[in-house]
Amino acid sequence: MGQAPPRTRDLARRLIAHELSENKSSETKNPAPFLVDQKLRALLVTLMGSVGFQALLSRALALTNAEGPWLRAVTLKADGSFERLDELGEDQIFEGGVVLLTHLLGLLVAFIGEDLTLRLVGEIWPELSPDLDKGSRT
Amino acid sequence: MRSQAERPAKVAIRKLPTGVRGLDDILGGGVPELSFNIIAGSPGSGKTTMAHQVVFANATVQKPALFFTVLGEPAIKMLRYQQLYSFFDETKLGKEIRFSNLSDVVLNHSLDTVFDEITKQVTAVNPGIVVVDSFRTVVRKVVTSTSEVEMQSFIQRLALFLASWEATTFLVGEYSPEEIRDNPLFTIADGLFWLSQNVERNSVVRKLQILKVRGQESVPGLHTIRITGAGLQAFSRTLGFVRKTPPRTRAKRKRLSMGIPDWDTMMGGGVYEGDSLLIAGPSGTGKTALATQFIAAGLRRGEPGIMAIFEERPKGYTDRADSFGLNLKEPLAQGKLEILYLRPLDLSVDETMQEILDAVDRIGAKRLVIDSLVSLEMALAPGFREDFRESLYRLIVALTGAGVTIVSTVEVEDTFTGYSFSHYTISFLTDDIIRLRYVEIDSQLRKMIAVIKMRGGNHSKDIREYVITDKGVVVIRPHTTEYVRLTTGIPERTGPRPAQVEESPPEPRATR
Repeated sequence: MGQAPPRTRDLARRLIAHELSENKSSETKNPAPFLVDQKLRALLVTLMGSVGFQALLSRALALTNAEGPWLRAVTLKADGSFERLDELGEDQIFEGGVVLLTHLLGLLVAFIGEDLTLRLVGEIWPELSPDLDKGSRT
Repeated sequence: MRSQAERPAKVAIRKLPTGVRGLDDILGGGVPELSFNIIAGSPGSGKTTMAHQVVFANATVQKPALFFTVLGEPAIKMLRYQQLYSFFDETKLGKEIRFSNLSDVVLNHSLDTVFDEITKQVTAVNPGIVVVDSFRTVVRKVVTSTSEVEMQSFIQRLALFLASWEATTFLVGEYSPEEIRDNPLFTIADGLFWLSQNVERNSVVRKLQILKVRGQESVPGLHTIRITGAGLQAFSRTLGFVRKTPPRTRAKRKRLSMGIPDWDTMMGGGVYEGDSLLIAGPSGTGKTALATQFIAAGLRRGEPGIMAIFEERPKGYTDRADSFGLNLKEPLAQGKLEILYLRPLDLSVDETMQEILDAVDRIGAKRLVIDSLVSLEMALAPGFREDFRESLYRLIVALTGAGVTIVSTVEVEDTFTGYSFSHYTISFLTDDIIRLRYVEIDSQLRKMIAVIKMRGGNHSKDIREYVITDKGVVVIRPHTTEYVRLTTGIPERTGPRPAQVEESPPEPRATR
């Protein structure tokens, strides 16, 4: 799989933007892209187990690293969380996080199709559900 | 003693649809609600697809379905492939159908924790349907790490809990028939669906058997199943139905014209409605022409008809009928006639029968032609040929019981030592038999027709000559007695040579 299509990247950006607006006042230390990853993780683990999710995320990380240097220092733990994220700069984390999320969503689209991917995303962010469908098909 | 009216009502067990075409009939109406069922069988036999069909057919927002995946195929992979089936409705995912992966719990925790996790999710979701796929992987771990008693206890607790929470349960697993006797799971189960997949010569044959279903009468035996884009389809050994039409008494039945007045006369006024008639004869004697005239006669009277053909393509039939002056194209376009061209490889006999039954139901057919039984048998996968006679019997009984009149053709080889009616010994399946044969007269192969059998009716005992005109129309000659031993194929003339109307030959007739 090469670069994810622009609309998958657009979907990733919209999810991140939504998380940013939701967490403006919160004190979470996790950058927005990784908050999205975390929320996706909760659902995907119920569908494929933690081992399955870890495998999918490791593939998304490899694709991200093939595309740019942002997250090359980062390693993935067995539970699907990241190590050495705190060593990176804010921009690096954000840009890398967008690409990682794009590839994760791209893998899901390749695996179960766009319809079901949007449906799963809509389960996590029901408030975005109508826009997701509209946006992805334009 | 209390009378029937005073007795408290018996429990009413609702039957859930399976979503698998044909399976509800086999089960005796559907799956009993709140039952604890096993879907077992070999890999690739369709277990998971069947479970999905049940789930999609029953899940609602109020009573969702909870699908636990264990080791084996994770839900994400199921979604990838199952969405390709037409029964898959993605709008049901989430609220009506929920997937949950139990792999981590099974791998890392005790049996009690597995039970706790299931009860926790069932309590939270309140499902109407629960599936565990594959339950075998749960049990395998148990067998290796705990005692058999503990395993029995686990299954018992699970069954009781799920029934108490008003869930109908399906445990999916790869089991072999040898395990049935010793595995307590099969004792506890209320329903046991056994799927198998066998290779017979070059064909794959899938079968389903309902080994057990408590409280209701299922159709015993092995039923053919097929996996198509619509999911699993089951073909009941009873062909899915016992026709509702009450059996007709012969006295009330009317006679139908065969489309040739002299033929009707020979049969005592035509064929009885709802009879099965066999036209047997060697190649080239005009079996298809006779069958086509039977269908055309029905269409003229407004009786829809089906022609199930296995050799020639439909266009060949309609073109030839055109040349007879029988217009089949118009009723075909109007939906009063269907020509089923059935010739795929690996055809199962039950599928063939189901296709015919569906077509009969679709257009309300009164007349059916099967042309021919020999080619029908050849179109079947080798493994099904053994069942040919039995299945044909079921088809004929089902359709004639509903008042459909069937004409089948069968090719028999003429010998000069015998007078057989069919290679298949299927004449017992038919009410009426027409035999066509060649006889040698004056150095010509001429054609003879005789009515061998008319169940419940008198018929002509004559052996009559017939010709097929260059337009394909069968003309039966007046009865003559100038020959004896016609059935041998080499008759002797006993009187003066009768005047004969010549068939138009491609070359002048030989002279002495």
